This record gives sequence, C-alpha cells and structure tokens, in this order.
Amino acid sequence: MADYQNLWNQVQVRAAPDWGPPISEQSWTRSFPPKMSYWLGKVGDAQLGPIYLGWTGVASLIFGTLAFNIIGFNYLAQVNWNAIEFVRQLPWLSLDPPAPGRGMGIAPLAEGGWWQLAGFFLTISVLLWWVRLYRRARSFGMGTHLPWAFASAIWLFLVLGFFRPLLMGSWGEAVPFGIFSHLDWTAAFSIRYGNLFYNPFHMLSIAFLYGSALLFAMHGATILATAKYGAEREIEQITDRGTGAERSALFWRWTMGFNATMESIHRWAWWFAVLVTLTGGIGILLTGTVVDNWYLWGQRHGLVPEYPRAYPAVEPTSPAELEAPMQQAPPVTYPGLVGGAP
Amino acid sequence: MISLRRLTLALAVVGLAGCQLPPQDSTQVGFRGVMIGQTSSPETMAALQAANVAPAALPPAATDASRADSIYQNVQVLGHLSNAEFLRTMTAITNWVAPTTGPEAGCNYCHNAQNLASDEKYQKVVSRQMLRMTQEINGEWTGHVAQTGVTCYTCHRGGPVPPGTWYYTDVNQPLRHYLDRDDIRVQSQMPLRTEVSNRSSVNQAEYAYALMINMSSGLGVNCTFCHNSRAFTNWDQSPPQRLTALRGLRMVRSLNMNHMVALQDVWPAARHAADHLTDEGTLEPWHVNAEVSRGPMGDGAKLQCQTCHQGLNKPLYAAAMAQAYPGLYPYVPPPVSEATADTAAAIE
Repeated sequence: MADYQNLWNQVQVRAAPDWGPPISEQSWTRSFPPKMSYWLGKVGDAQLGPIYLGWTGVASLIFGTLAFNIIGFNYLAQVNWNAIEFVRQLPWLSLDPPAPGRGMGIAPLAEGGWWQLAGFFLTISVLLWWVRLYRRARSFGMGTHLPWAFASAIWLFLVLGFFRPLLMGSWGEAVPFGIFSHLDWTAAFSIRYGNLFYNPFHMLSIAFLYGSALLFAMHGATILATAKYGAEREIEQITDRGTGAERSALFWRWTMGFNATMESIHRWAWWFAVLVTLTGGIGILLTGTVVDNWYLWGQRHGLVPEYPRAYPAVEPTSPAELEAPMQQAPPVTYPGLVGGAP
Repeated sequence: MISLRRLTLALAVVGLAGCQLPPQDSTQVGFRGVMIGQTSSPETMAALQAANVAPAALPPAATDASRADSIYQNVQVLGHLSNAEFLRTMTAITNWVAPTTGPEAGCNYCHNAQNLASDEKYQKVVSRQMLRMTQEINGEWTGHVAQTGVTCYTCHRGGPVPPGTWYYTDVNQPLRHYLDRDDIRVQSQMPLRTEVSNRSSVNQAEYAYALMINMSSGLGVNCTFCHNSRAFTNWDQSPPQRLTALRGLRMVRSLNMNHMVALQDVWPAARHAADHLTDEGTLEPWHVNAEVSRGPMGDGAKLQCQTCHQGLNKPLYAAAMAQAYPGLYPYVPPPVSEATADTAAAIE
C-alpha cells in the first residue's frame, strides 16, 4: 500500500476530456480545447483546459501585461537596452516610486511616473481578476470563499501601494517594483519605524503565516496518511464519518488531546490564511500614520524585555555630541561638491 | 540519475556562491541569547593579516637645533622640524606613497629634481594638503583615532592612489548624502506620530542602511559591532564602538569638505577614473596605483571608512606608526618665555 507514500500522484484518471457543464452566459465561450498531459497529471489533474476567460479575464490579462511590460522595459532602459546586462542585473533592477519630496502628485515618467502607471495598471488587473473569481464562483453556484480570501491579499497590496501612501501624503512611501529593492524597502521600512517586530499586528501576521504552513502540513499529511481508508473523501466524511475520518481524528485526539473535524480543519486553514494579510495590512497601515516607532511603543506597553549590560556604556564628551537634527526628505537631486561646496 | 545529481550539485554551487565555506568563528559580545556578537572566518582573517602589515619606523633622527624652513625654501607645513627629522619624514613619505623606482617615482614623484622648492608638480601641492589633513586628524580627531593616529601609509599602502577612495556616481548617492552632508537620524524618538515627529522617509532610511552596509564592509564587522539591532537608535543599549564610529563619520565628512574638495581643481582633469569604477563608485582594486585622480562627474577622490580601515575595525591592527613621526602632528610652538620675548622686542 505504498500508493500514497510518494511525492507524485499515483493515480491519473484518463477519459474523454471534460468540458464542464453547459454555461448560460452566451457572451463568451470557453477557449483552449482540453488536452491531456501525463506530466501535469503527476502534480495535478492531467487535463489542461478549457479556460473561461470572460471579459474580466481578458481585460485583467491586458492590464497585467501592460504593467509587466512597463516594469520590464524600464529595467531594460536602466541597463541601456543590453539583454545580457538585463539578465545579469535583474535581481538588482528596480522601478521606484516618485521621490518622497513629490507628495501625491503625478510625477514625470522618468521620475516615478512609470511606477505610478505600472501600479495603476497592476491594480486594475488585480481588481478585475477579483471580479472574475467572484463571478466564476457565483456562476458555478459555489460559495465565495475564494474571492474573499483573495480580497484579503488585495487589501495588503493596496495598503502598501495606495492607502498608506495616501495617508502619509507621499507616493515615495510605497514599495518599489524590484526583486531586491522590495526586500530592501522592507528592511528600511522596519528600521525607519523602530523595528516592525514590536508591531503586534506584524506579530499576528507572522503567527498566522507560520500557522498556515503548520496547518497545511498537518492536514495534508493526515489526509495522505489515511487516504487508504477513504479519508480523501473529506467533505462527505464531515457528516458521514468513515474509518478514514475516524482514524485521523483518533490520531490527533490521542496525540494532543484535541482534534479538528473534516469540516473545521478547512475553516481553520481558511481563516489562518486570510488573517495573514488582513492583520499584516492593519499593521502596515498603522505604521507611520499612528505609530512612529514600534520599539518605543512596545517599551511603553511592556513588550520589551530588559537585558543586563554586557559591554561598557557609550561615554560622550557631552550629551550634545549624540544629537543631530532629524533628517528631512532628501532632495530630488544632489548637486554635490562638483564646482564648489553647496 | 547522474545528470540529476549533477544538476542538483550545480544548483547548490550556484546558490551558495555568495556564502563563505565553514569554519566560521563567532564571538559573543552582548547578553546571552540576544545575538550581539561578531562572526569571522579564519580564512578571511589570515588574508587580512597578510594584507595589513605596518612597515617598521625609520631609525630616529639625530637631534639638531636646525629648522627645516631656515635651510630650504617653500617649506610650509613641516618647517618646524629639524633638518634630520625633516629628511627622515620625507624619506618615510616616499616609502609610503611613491616607493617604486623610475624617473617619476621616489622623490621625483612630487618634486622637480632640478628645483625641489618648486610647486610645479601637482603631486607636491596634493602632498602638502594631505600633510595638513594628517596633522589635523592626529591632533583634532583623537576621539576617533585615539593615540594611534594615522600616517600616509594608513591609506596609501605604498601607492600614490590609495585603494578605497570613492567618486560621485549615479549609484552611490547614499555616500554622497552622508559623507559630505548630514548625520543619520531617520528614526523617531517618540512612539506615536505627532506634529513634531521626525518626517524622514523610508527612502531616507534606505540611504542610511546603504551607508551602514558601506561602513560594515569597510570595517569587516557586522551591525551588532556598534548597535543593539533591536533598537538601532538607542544609545543606552549601544556598544561604545558606536560613538567612535559616529565621530569617524563626522571626521570623514569634515575631511572631505575641508581637504579633499580643496584638491578637486588641483588634480588634472585628464586623469579620469570613469573607466575604472566599480558599481559602488570605488576604484577597481587593480587600478589603485594607476594615475587616476578624477571621477566620472569630474570630482576628486573622497574618503570613506574603508579608505583607512581596509577591512579592519582598527586600521593596520592599531599599529602605532604615527607616533614615530612628530611631523604628522600639529606643530605646537614652545611657550615663549618673557625674557625671550623681551629680547625679540629689543632687537626689533
């Protein structure tokens, strides 16, 4: 019975491709006639296609492609249209938002305008995709759990790129489009606002993120381990518990005294996943708008442990030595010292 | 299967290319469990030790009562030295900066052999400014260089163009921002946002981050050498090294503004560094002894932490080279006694 103790699917159903039920919407047809793929069958369903794009899907793809190309061609321009340099420097290339001094206005293309355009198109694309998810779910008579879970991710996306910059009054607060640059932004954001680890919503988000991974592993492993008793028929077994459901429940009850049910485990997983970006977005939205230094906020609220000093203290000649004026937004250009000191 | 294994191995090699092979040594500095410490690789340590050997001091000069500026013409900075000490200092500088033989090396790198007093070679004008700078560092910046001080060799390492200077480029704006302008203050000192809160941007914080990485690599240390990284801005939790570093930043800024910029128009524009810059705006290591003196934007070389430190938190392992050369310290005239002053007045 090694069928389920394998990295790949062991069972592939082969029959005439399934087109799905007839659809009432006559405005759009299903495209890409179905094909069977042995290799896709190893990791998912062997049937590829058809796809129902609809006008929201097509529009979403058009806007997404526009955003993708704006970003890509900006990268290319940054390396003087040199394809080899484009590949070599790709992880470091970045399309940045307008400089902080510009506020919420529309920037010239080369100074953040392309970023605004790419972000605008990407947002339209993502929102249209959400509409598409919602309409597909409705048209199949399904619940709308999927679009609402996606909406939670869109919430974080919009907080980072739109709501928070709007509240801060500057596009410069938004995240750049780039592989390392968005990671650098994350590090700088945490440092600027006094260490995001002390942001309780960040804590919640991380807990739900790791929790999601843990729940996913526990659930996947449980079902695979009891599949030979029919546990993969999870939804039927909510009400009609077979030996698969009984054994998996028994396993966790004996292991940790408590167990989910075939129904509740999916609710756990859905809420954990949705809460990652929901709480994360709240944490980002509060940062800089309400809370300016999370470490000091944590200190005020008893989150910060004190440790014994292990090295000598800093000894300034006077307290004034440690002081410096707060920095204002950097200038848009740097005249520098060429041709004399400023 | 063999090809799959090879592929996996190749991927592992590519993925780990940025990492250093074990062993790594680590030293705990802070309280247990808070990850305040330093890591180092014995391999890197050995390379640094080989590359950072301070040359021995020249034998002490015989004491004599002569003054260099009464013997030679146009001695503007070292005139107070005795003849023997002056010549010894000149020899040491030659060894540190232009030791190679040839018509344009040795004394002739700066001097016209026919007329040593002449300022016709720009190198001599640069040397004079650099001597003033060295004296200022050793005399006024003891908060950073302590009693160890610096010599020409601290930066030059036996070549006329020191490794590790930098020029303006499009990509090293953070250096430009901090090493000739502002202190770093990007974190608020209040938990909640108020009308008077710090309004530095995330962008600004990223610049600060870039400068910190620049310092970190220049000194071969990690963040926790100077900071408790849970609260970068908090002085009460910082190791004392952070204050030394702050003084160093202010020193570099002052030296760039007052000494390096003064030389910008002295260096010949034709000697252009544009073709020899790394992405970070520093000279490629193999060009450090080339005759390169201006950056791609036409600016002169400027200092950063790495220029002196060259991978060590104490340059040349804190070898006290400078103390053997009084000419590298500011001249403090001996107190004039009243009797002498009276005599001088009488002569006049």
